[in-house]
Amino acid sequence: MRNKSMLDRLALLGRSGIAVVEALGRSVVFLLMALGGRASFGNRFELLMKQLYAVGVLSLAIIVVSGLFIGMVLALQGYNILSDYGSEQAVGQMVALTLLRELGPVVTALLFAGRAGSALTAEIGNMKSTEQLSSLEMIGVDPLKYVIAPRLWAGFISMPLLACIFSVVGIWGGSMVAVDWLGVFEGSYWSNMQNSVDFFDDVLNGTIKSVVFAIVVTWIAVFQGYDCEPTSEGISRATTRTVVHASLAVLGLDFILTALMFGDY
Amino acid sequence: MKTRTLEISVGLFLLAGLLALLLLALRVSGLTVASTQDTYRVYAYFDNISGLSVRAKVTMAGVTIGKVVGIDLDRDSYMGRVAMDIRGDVNNLPTDSTASILTAGLLGEKYIGISVGGDEELLAEGDTIRDTQSALVLEELIGKFLLNSVNKDE
Amino acid sequence: MTSDARYAVELKGVSFKRGERFIFKDVDIVIPRGKVTGIMGPSGCGKTTLLRLIGAQLRAEKGEIWVAGSNVPALSRSDLFDLRKRMGVLFQSGALFTDLSVFENVAFPLRVHTALPDDMIRDIVLMKLQAVGLRGAIDLMPDELSGGMKRRVALARAIALDPEILLYDEPFVGQDPIAMGVLVRLIRKLNDALGITSVVVSHDLAETASIADYIYVVGDSQVLGHGTPESLMESDNPRIRQFMKGDPDGPVPFHFPAAKLADDLLGGGHA
Repeated sequence: MRNKSMLDRLALLGRSGIAVVEALGRSVVFLLMALGGRASFGNRFELLMKQLYAVGVLSLAIIVVSGLFIGMVLALQGYNILSDYGSEQAVGQMVALTLLRELGPVVTALLFAGRAGSALTAEIGNMKSTEQLSSLEMIGVDPLKYVIAPRLWAGFISMPLLACIFSVVGIWGGSMVAVDWLGVFEGSYWSNMQNSVDFFDDVLNGTIKSVVFAIVVTWIAVFQGYDCEPTSEGISRATTRTVVHASLAVLGLDFILTALMFGDY
Repeated sequence: MKTRTLEISVGLFLLAGLLALLLLALRVSGLTVASTQDTYRVYAYFDNISGLSVRAKVTMAGVTIGKVVGIDLDRDSYMGRVAMDIRGDVNNLPTDSTASILTAGLLGEKYIGISVGGDEELLAEGDTIRDTQSALVLEELIGKFLLNSVNKDE
Repeated sequence: MTSDARYAVELKGVSFKRGERFIFKDVDIVIPRGKVTGIMGPSGCGKTTLLRLIGAQLRAEKGEIWVAGSNVPALSRSDLFDLRKRMGVLFQSGALFTDLSVFENVAFPLRVHTALPDDMIRDIVLMKLQAVGLRGAIDLMPDELSGGMKRRVALARAIALDPEILLYDEPFVGQDPIAMGVLVRLIRKLNDALGITSVVVSHDLAETASIADYIYVVGDSQVLGHGTPESLMESDNPRIRQFMKGDPDGPVPFHFPAAKLADDLLGGGHA
């Protein structure tokens, strides 16, 4: 009996492994089909606009508010630690580097997954369950091109911009706390920052990170919606999966990218 | 009318994003257009470069005039060879100028300071600064100080 | 290997499997041009699957599916999208695009497939909406419509490109008697007025029988019988009779297959 259940478990493991590989394959084909080739309809620009609004503009509020608070907290914590070493002038440099290299891209991607990613999954899942996708297909319009592609592009474009906005607001919030409240000399806040932040190493690498995160998060969100079981439970499960998978993928990739970009080897 | 407000808000969003990137580039990382102007390369040999790193500043009278672009060991003389790019408009450095490795603050980063010499010939692309002063190594200083005080006590 | 001009849709020896289970096995169905054909059968017997096979949203395991003169499984992706312009589908839920108004929904197929100027599109949309009696609802959004109205707007959208074949997926489900009556009249009227071939997939017996010229009864992954509604009523096949008369027990048993009740109660199986 025990032997059999061990074998059963092994089979279960194998089955879920095959399912994972299958889903990965499907999602790659899905991405290529959506982005490759040419679309036949003329109003692609308009569709992209609509999605940029839904994905980018509507995420702006949460990004700005979170960026502000994170920048303020960083300045506060950094000041407390750095003042032990008498180097509280370095707080600007610390806030800027932390935001540009790590927190800007990562926190933006996590918030984006929660705000826009889950909305994308739910919206596409809903379109699937109400047969809107089938109906597009039967009208002779490829839903991959009409529904999926503009959402993918909107995500790819929006997230790096949101990450930049996040960092800027965070640095500004940090300066409010450090300079206006804690009394760090304004000149040293900015000049320390400018001396230690390098455009290519820090700003550009951070932006590259957030481009990678944008692709991964949007891809996961859109694919989960397209691939979900077209019932209300299926949609809610897919939405949860989007947030969980996207967050894990972002954190895992962040480690790899950081090692590649900032590791000294 | 509805699409118009939508388009305007998307336009503002894209503009804000690009503006943020620009701010990060100019205000935060201090990237200046001038940094792409031409430079000329000079070399300097030091007994000990102790902690100087690539991209460190090269200053004169406290003003940044270039940066360190390469550090390696000269196989023949066993000295550290530092390559620096100096801004093209600072082309009036005499050949007998002195390069010294300095420290910003007690624990701060290392940088190179150049003090001007009196020669009439000027440094040009590929020249070497002869007169150098290596980094102060704190441990050695302390060691000397202790040795001195022990000697005095005797 | 070719299709017969009298038929709009022909299925020859079509099999379709889902997992290990056959949904259809060697099914032959012909749908005559210009008529209303009903495809009936108990729930879950694969009627909607049949529609998806005709629209090539699903690929058949084997067999030929001829639609308007071309064999659907053999078409390339772009030819398929061209063929679909000549088909209209009314989905069970209507499947209106929720982010577009009624007008934009009906105009959608025209906008993506034609280069007509805006005022011409407007005229066509108004005519189609007039045909389903909803010209007044032109500026409403889909979520402001009742279920029956949604289906009528979807119908207007399905006929926007003047298709040759109209497929109806369970058009009568969940409709009140008035909406049902309206739909029945509309399907018949559109079929006769526009010379469309209509295929109605449904399990609503009375409504389907009242408009269909010809009916196929499917079940058990095959065609159980076909004929005019009257001849099917008189059929001596017990399975068809049970379905047409709506008897609770018969060849399709009331009980899901199970062990004997006594055995279960006396605690044999699961303990």
